[in-house]
Amino acid sequence: MPILEVQNIHKRFGRTEVLKGIDFSLEQGQVLSIIGSSGSGKTTLLRCITQLEQADRGRIIVSGRTVFDAGEALTLTKEEKRQRQLTFGMVFQSFHLFPQYNVLENVTLATRLHARELPDFSARKAEILSEIDREARELIASVGLSEKLKNYPCELSGGQQQRVAIARALAMKPQILCFDEPTSALDPELTGEVLSVIKSLANRHMTMIIVTHEMRFAREVSDQVLFMDGGHIRARGTPEEIFLHPEDPRLRDFLGSFQDRGL
Amino acid sequence: MSFWDVNVTLMKGLVVSVELFFLTLLFAIPLGLVICLGSMNGWRPLRFLAGRGRSGGARAVCGALGSFMPVRAVCRLVVWIIRGTPLMLQILVVYFGPGLMFHWPLLPRFTAALLTFVINYACYFSEIYRGGIQAIPRGQYEAGQVLGMTRAQTFFHVILLQLIKNVVPPMGNELITLVKDTALVRVISVYELIWMGESFIRKGFIWPLFYTGVFYLAFSGLLTLLLGWFEKKLSYFRA
Ligand SMILES: Nc1ncnc2c1ncn2[C@@H]1O[C@H](COP(=O)(O)OP(=O)(O)O)[C@@H](O)[C@H]1O
Ligand SMILES: [Mg+2]
Repeated sequence: MPILEVQNIHKRFGRTEVLKGIDFSLEQGQVLSIIGSSGSGKTTLLRCITQLEQADRGRIIVSGRTVFDAGEALTLTKEEKRQRQLTFGMVFQSFHLFPQYNVLENVTLATRLHARELPDFSARKAEILSEIDREARELIASVGLSEKLKNYPCELSGGQQQRVAIARALAMKPQILCFDEPTSALDPELTGEVLSVIKSLANRHMTMIIVTHEMRFAREVSDQVLFMDGGHIRARGTPEEIFLHPEDPRLRDFLGSFQDRGL
Repeated sequence: MSFWDVNVTLMKGLVVSVELFFLTLLFAIPLGLVICLGSMNGWRPLRFLAGRGRSGGARAVCGALGSFMPVRAVCRLVVWIIRGTPLMLQILVVYFGPGLMFHWPLLPRFTAALLTFVINYACYFSEIYRGGIQAIPRGQYEAGQVLGMTRAQTFFHVILLQLIKNVVPPMGNELITLVKDTALVRVISVYELIWMGESFIRKGFIWPLFYTGVFYLAFSGLLTLLLGWFEKKLSYFRA
C-alpha cells in the first residue's frame, strides 16, 4: 500500500484553474521530484498537500487514512485540521525561520509547544523537555550546524538557514517531508550543502516530495519524477524515463532549456 | 516670587500633563488595536488568526470585526477624519459640540481632553499596528501552521515579538509627539504645564513660560532614553 495517495486534486484561484486534476501515489521511503516551468502549479500542489491551501476537489490519503477530502473539509474543526497537517513537513523556498529564536529554539519551539498536549506533561516535564532538547541537538548535528546552536537566523548564510529549516521540519517527525524549491533562494555556491542534506535523508529512506529546478540532483535522488505543465501532470516516470528518454515534446523543450544553459 | 515658587506651580501643571499622557496611553493602546483589527478586516493572515474553531474573547473581537464589512469602512473613515483634522479643533468639538448640538451638559474639562486624546491617538496607533502587522511575512504564519502550532501559539510565540519590534520605533515618535500635544488642552482651560507657565505673565514675568520648555525636554529626554533602551533590547534579531 502506498504511504501517500493524491487523488484528483483541483484548485482554482478566482477564475484561473491552477490544478486541473492531479493524481499520484508514493511508496514509503521513496523520493518524488516535481519539475516543471514556473507557473505550472508546483507550489500550489505542495500547498494543497500540506494543507496550507484547501483544494476545491480531491482527496489525500496517507497510510490508508484520509487526511484531506474536499467534500468534508468544511465540517472539520481547526483542531482536526491541525492534527492532519502534522502528517506533513514543509521546507519553504525562503526558509521562514523564526527570526527572534536561535537555531536550537527554532528547532524545539513547535515540539515544546506540542509536548504540552501530552497527558503526562506536567508530571514528566523536565524529562520530556530534555528529551526534546537532545533530539533537536542531534538533528542540528545531522545537518552539520552544531557550531551554530546559539546563533540567530540573521547571523547565518542562506544555506545554513535552509538546513536549520530542514531540521525544524524533521523535529515534528512528519511522515512525508515536502520541499518547495529549497535551493532557489540560495547563491549557487550554497546549494550543494542543502542538496547533500536532502540526499542524506533520502539515503535514510525519508519519504519526500521535492519541487526543484536542480535537474542533476532530481535525477540522482528521485525514485519517481513528475513533470507538471499548465496544471496537469504531463509526464511521469523514473528518472531514466524522464531525463534520458523523454517522450513528451513539452518535457523535451523544458529539459532542453536547462541543457542550453549547461545545467 | 522665588525660583522655588515657580517650580512648585509648574510642577502642578506638569502633573496634569503627565497624567494626561499616561491615561491617554492606557486607553489608546488597546483601543488602537481594536480600530486596527476593524480597519484590516478581510485581510488574509488576520482572518487566519480569527479563524473558526477558536474560543475566547480574542476570537469574539476578531471574528465580529472580521466578518462585518461595514466595520472596515467605518474604521477607515474615522481614522481619515481624525488624522485629517487638527487635534486642537477636535478638543473644541468634543468639549463644546455635544452642548451646542444636543444641549447636553458640558463634560469636565479634563475628561473631554482625555477623551479626545484617546480617540486621536488610538487612530494613529491603529495605523502603526497595521503597518507592523502587514510587515510580517505570511511565511511566518505558515511556518507555524505547518509545524502544527495553534493559531494562538503562532501569534504569541512567533508573531507578537516581531510585531512589537516593528511598532516600537514609530510608537516612540508618537509618544514624543504626545508629550508636546498635551499643551493643546489649554484651549479648553485645562491647567497643564503651559497654562501654568503663562499664568505668571499676569504677574509680569515671561520667563516661567519659556522655562516650561525645560520640563518638556526632561520628559521627552527620559522617554527617548527608555525607548532607545527597549529598541536595543530587541536589536538582537532582524525581523
Ligand atoms: N494565492 C494565489 N492567488 C491567485 N493566483 C495564484 C495564487 N497562487 C498561485 N497563483 C497562480 O497559480 C499559478 C501557479 O502558481 P504556482 O503554483 O506558484 O506555480 P509554480 O510553483 O509551478 O511556479 C500561477 O499562475 C500563479 O499566478
Ligand atoms: Mg513555485
